[in-house]
Amino acid sequence: MKARLRFDKEKTSEPIIASVILRTKAPINILRAEVYESTGEVLIEVPDDKAESTISAFKQMGVDVHVGHFIEILREKCIDCGHCITVCPVDAISAQSDLTVEIDQNKCVDCGACVDACPTRAIKLSE
Amino acid sequence: MKNIRTIEEINEKISKGTINVVTAEEMTEIVKSNGIEVAAKDVDIVTTGTFGAMCSSGLFLNFGHADPPIKMEHVNLNGVEAYHGNAAVDVYLGVTKMHPERNFDYGGGHVIEDLVAGKEIELDATAYGTDCYPRKSVKTTFTLQDVNQAILCNPRNAYQKYNAATNGRDDVIYTYMGKLLPNYSNVSYSGAGELNPLTNDPDYETIGVGTRIFLGGGIGYVTGHGTQHDPTNKFGTIMVQGDLKQMDSKFLRGATYTNYGTSLYVGLGIPIPILNEGLAKKTSISDEEIKTNLLDYGIPRRGRPSLKETDYAELKSGKLKLKEREIPVQPLSSLKIAREVASTLKKWIDDGKFLIASPTQRLSVTEVCRSMKITKEAIFAQNVMIPTVTCNIDEDTETVARRIIEKNVNHVVVVDDGGILKGIVTSFDITKAVAKKEEKLSNVVTRQVVTTSPEEPIDSCVRKLKKHDISALPVVDSEKKILGIVTSEQISRLLGE
Repeated sequence: MKARLRFDKEKTSEPIIASVILRTKAPINILRAEVYESTGEVLIEVPDDKAESTISAFKQMGVDVHVGHFIEILREKCIDCGHCITVCPVDAISAQSDLTVEIDQNKCVDCGACVDACPTRAIKLSE
Repeated sequence: MKNIRTIEEINEKISKGTINVVTAEEMTEIVKSNGIEVAAKDVDIVTTGTFGAMCSSGLFLNFGHADPPIKMEHVNLNGVEAYHGNAAVDVYLGVTKMHPERNFDYGGGHVIEDLVAGKEIELDATAYGTDCYPRKSVKTTFTLQDVNQAILCNPRNAYQKYNAATNGRDDVIYTYMGKLLPNYSNVSYSGAGELNPLTNDPDYETIGVGTRIFLGGGIGYVTGHGTQHDPTNKFGTIMVQGDLKQMDSKFLRGATYTNYGTSLYVGLGIPIPILNEGLAKKTSISDEEIKTNLLDYGIPRRGRPSLKETDYAELKSGKLKLKEREIPVQPLSSLKIAREVASTLKKWIDDGKFLIASPTQRLSVTEVCRSMKITKEAIFAQNVMIPTVTCNIDEDTETVARRIIEKNVNHVVVVDDGGILKGIVTSFDITKAVAKKEEKLSNVVTRQVVTTSPEEPIDSCVRKLKKHDISALPVVDSEKKILGIVTSEQISRLLGE
């Protein structure tokens, strides 16, 4: 399972992820981490059997947790050109045999590199 | 070449429902398995198709007269400025004109897509007022059905083929060929290869003035050869027009190229009547046979050297080999929709709804595409660069400080014994180091240096200085050997000249 964590400014200096790992014994894989003016954002991957305990541990520590799909192809806008495929750093986007472009949510790391490459603005990052 | 059937005979077969029409991709297979002779006998028409961004597209609109009447001077459609240099209520909306605030996200191409989709468009026009056209402004909304004429009129469409693009610079660039990653990390291309209209009739035997075509989901016509038509280099183009009211937003889509501009994806298909065996052979062209060049769009010049010759089979495979590396390749045009164009046109003909038109005049086969005549030469990095003051990484900061004073410069370039660029220090870096009593140059040097080449236009040097918020660019050759330096002082001096 993948989850996006959002930290408040007050919490960016606390060792939250380390605390959750110690508490849940979950091998959390950090896929991406970014710091903005007022928040920190981390994308993590957790084995499915530890998903529930990890999420509740983060929530208890006051972290905003978002689970599920992060990126979406708006089918009515997509023309299946495939330009997004070459800019994806983790090869999460591919063309099917009928040339329809698809995103593999399991591989996507929510980086957004494809968003500004799309000529019909058909790729949407979730908020 | 002896003709085996005429256009009249073909149209008779279309009307009777006995026509044999195939797509250009199917034709390639048919000829491969049955040979040219049999294919020429069996196949009457080959349909082609392409769906790519075609910047040289636009729309003529006539709104009819208002009461009191207005001779429009400035016209905005959904906030996008339309050209008004014609009669009172005629305008031309170009697809690359961008909305002033929505920039790359909305432009003329998107207004056309919205119109075709049946959406309401805001018209905002002003005028200076005349005795016969007293009105000075008008604000209204309209849909496609409310206007008298909406004629898609594209001065240059359907390039016979196009270059493939990559980027050798060390940062991402945004171009009309899409988002190109640094250090040759992706390739983009345009065009449908063996399905491309002009590729299947490269000598324009059947495509000419008056040829009836599939345009944006409706019926259109070729009105002549397009701008930048370059037949001798197999870069032919056509000028086309069609009634927007017949078209479909599936085949006309607004395009957005981040940091570049807006455009319009145009679905365009041409039927090629197989009048003789020569045309059967030409329409059997395969992707392997369509050669094009891979160019480095990181070079901001007209003449970009070819990195390698490639073909549409390699491009469509999704991987391209360049200097022992495999680079991912994808088009900017949609092959999936190009196939739909060709198969829709095929269906129209099969259903007896589309007849072949005989061109009244052939397209030029001799015209040459020239470059712009320039009366004042542009300035390049090599014209403004000055000799560099250099140092070695093992020197101490005080020695470098003395050199800065002695030579009266603000930048010292760190090189190795072979003159290869290793870093840069500014007078500010050195002042700071001396104040902090930092003696080691290696602790203050900037190693990731933004550089330029001697052939880089000064405009693009300025863009780099601004983008990276720096004050100088070392000029290096392809081996990173230092040739000189372009500083912001040198550039300011140009303004005074």
